[in-house]
Amino acid sequence: MTSADSVKNEVFHQISQLLEDKSLTVTDDMALIGGDSVLDSMKLVELCLALEDKASDMGFEFDWTSDAAMSRSRSMFRTAGSLATEFISQMEAKK
Amino acid sequence: MIIVTGASKGLGRAICERLIEKKVNVLGLARNVEDVPFATMSCDVSSYESVKAVAQKIKRDGAMVIGLVNAAGIASMNLAVTTPPSVAQNIINTNLLGTIYCCQLFAPLMLRNKLGSIINFSTIAVALGLKGESIYAASKAGVEGFTRSFAREMADFNVQVNCIAPGPIDTSLLKGITSEQIYKIVSQQIIPKQFKPDAVADLVELLIDSRANSLSGQVLHVGGA
Repeated sequence: MTSADSVKNEVFHQISQLLEDKSLTVTDDMALIGGDSVLDSMKLVELCLALEDKASDMGFEFDWTSDAAMSRSRSMFRTAGSLATEFISQMEAKK
Repeated sequence: MIIVTGASKGLGRAICERLIEKKVNVLGLARNVEDVPFATMSCDVSSYESVKAVAQKIKRDGAMVIGLVNAAGIASMNLAVTTPPSVAQNIINTNLLGTIYCCQLFAPLMLRNKLGSIINFSTIAVALGLKGESIYAASKAGVEGFTRSFAREMADFNVQVNCIAPGPIDTSLLKGITSEQIYKIVSQQIIPKQFKPDAVADLVELLIDSRANSLSGQVLHVGGA
């Protein structure tokens, strides 16, 4: 498993921790915002804070407030996959 | 720690001094912080990047933020039709967007602890619809609308968001305004007198007190409107 794969798994793990329905499996196309979102707005903020902590443990700062991060192909929060991709991209950019 | 914007003069400065007097750990923000005798950082609230740089520094330093007072603001007494677009833009950028940026970027520092109080600043001109203050009042009406909605967004995190709406308080912001003009405004308040910065500092003290944590999304008019 590559480093990117294990980081993606970590992001998915953080999402799964916040799911109300524990029987759900986190997949790339799982919606995090919008009508089909599996997380309410409070859980989404908690996810951001958890990812901030995780990034800090990994030696970089996860920025969920920048224009670039928020507007890249609309929003990094649109799916679990897009969030993991953004997280990995920030990690690699700050290496 | 409580962050206070507009800390170098006027209401912001008075609020900082009061909080420091009450042994509160204060970080004052202002564009120009030279000769300000307490902990400060330079910050232009109308610039998202400037506010973000301060937020990142506070986060890296690990300071526990429990309050934000958005006192930075600029006033203008002009008819809308004689106000240059650059002035209108500056008023909206500082008063409305500045408040929004500070809330967006400093609130996450409070969410983690599920504790905090945010105080925004409006003006009695919104409630009274004062002539010659239409653009200023528009910027502050925006702050009131933002405060009500943002208060709901923050409620789940035990962060209260309120707004203080002063009348013409005796500060440098009123430089150039005649006493007749001030009288005309204060005579429309429920309590028809001009208040000192201390009255506003009293309200700030009240709102940051944990005993006021049942209050959120409210606009408190100094002098009444």
